[in-house]
Amino acid sequence: MENIIECRNLTHYYGKRLIYDNLSFGVPRGRILGLLGKNGTGKTTTINILSGFLQPRSGECYILGEKIGNMNPLTRRKIGLLIEGHVQYQFMNIEQIERFYASFYPNWKREAYYELMSRLKVAPHQRINRMSCGQRSQVALGLILAQDPEVLVLDDFSLGLDPGYRRLFVDYMREYAKAEDKTVFLTSHIIQDMERLVDDCIVMDYGKILVQMPVEELLGKFRRYTAQVSEGFRMQDTDGIYTPSVIRQTLELFSMLPEAEVRARLSLQGVADVQVEKVGLEDAFIGLTGKY
Amino acid sequence: MIKAIFYKEWIKTKWYLLLALLVSLGFSAYAMLRISRVCSLKGAEHLWVVMMQRDAIFVELLQYVPLILGLVFAIVQFVPEMHHRSFKLTLHLPMRATSALASMLSFGMSMMVLVCVPALLLMWVYLQSVLAPELYWHILLSAMPWYLAGMAAYLLTAWVALEPTWGRRVLNLVLGVLLLRIYFLAPSPEAYNDFLPLLAIITLCYSILSVLSLTRFRDGRQD
Repeated sequence: MENIIECRNLTHYYGKRLIYDNLSFGVPRGRILGLLGKNGTGKTTTINILSGFLQPRSGECYILGEKIGNMNPLTRRKIGLLIEGHVQYQFMNIEQIERFYASFYPNWKREAYYELMSRLKVAPHQRINRMSCGQRSQVALGLILAQDPEVLVLDDFSLGLDPGYRRLFVDYMREYAKAEDKTVFLTSHIIQDMERLVDDCIVMDYGKILVQMPVEELLGKFRRYTAQVSEGFRMQDTDGIYTPSVIRQTLELFSMLPEAEVRARLSLQGVADVQVEKVGLEDAFIGLTGKY
Repeated sequence: MIKAIFYKEWIKTKWYLLLALLVSLGFSAYAMLRISRVCSLKGAEHLWVVMMQRDAIFVELLQYVPLILGLVFAIVQFVPEMHHRSFKLTLHLPMRATSALASMLSFGMSMMVLVCVPALLLMWVYLQSVLAPELYWHILLSAMPWYLAGMAAYLLTAWVALEPTWGRRVLNLVLGVLLLRIYFLAPSPEAYNDFLPLLAIITLCYSILSVLSLTRFRDGRQD
């Protein structure tokens, strides 16, 4: 399938601190890909590179087949960008900001914007800097829907939103992206939201990608295993077993390996009576990256 | 698209522009009022004598007004862009980043002209009624570097405000202050006359400095 977003061999440092080395990924047309990672693993760095606001140390990124550094400005009409914190021009009100952006986009969908704005309990002349974060998120979302881009890049869309606004945002975005065959690349700290929204996920750890696969496949394979162990038990490192830990003589570990294989490996280490359960995306994320 | 950028800048700055226009006109009117008082108390001949013998131009209080207006204007226009780094929104618009910046600076320079020209016109109109052409041109030409300093203050403050890192911003600020000193080096009237065209060109060249800040912003430079 054709990749609408493609990053090849990205390497970036802040000073001497390596953010990632040789990171490559692609987002096929019509898919929603979520980038998951702990703080400082490079999520916003990736968004900044994708939106052309950061020059990586090496590697290249393409959106709609154009290299980001040399992108034709008119191609940006096809790319919707949501900046972390739903940043918009604070000095404008909802009418002014609509009038401003409409001049840049020939296929501007004014109705889509005002349909969403009608849900907000704000006066038409209320300035954006006097709105709550939730209201600002709706303004930002409304502007993206009106722009009607082919590709959406959303940086931490759930930041500062209460559950109601988060759910509204997620449901609107999912429905819109699926109905219009949009390609979406996004990050969020709230992983439950990602579970509702994304088709594929990339889980990043410091400096590398841990997992890149469809969420359905990840949740279909990923399991949490628990068992009682004797005091002083130490799990020996073994491939395919993620973040084993012992808390109060309870061993917990995660794996995507077949259940029988994990049981056999644990049995070799003297662990019996193993409980296994399916997990949601948040637990899978914790299972892959650990609890700090 | 340029019209839309002008619209955005207008929304941001319209109240300040009104205030700046009033301040600029107010100071000029006050300077003219002082001249008018001297004329009514001691007669226009006294004014002429003082101007020729003591090198007085009677509008010294205007010296730093355009500079302050230009500096504050750039702050009003560019600091909101850097707040939450919303300048990213401008750079994501479907136009060349340099064109977007050039539009913003063109708006600013046009507005500076709009703020300064009425003040100069006010002086020109009034001074014609009390002074000979040589004398009122003497005053207006002596004030010209101050108005160029206003333009320079605007462009240099834009350069400082758009710079993404604090360390470099402080360095730019120091360089900016040194560059602004050029406009106030010679205290005697009409000292800059021969240098005025070149000074105007140098002033316009300061707009290129903002492109450096823009490039650094796009490269992701941060503290």
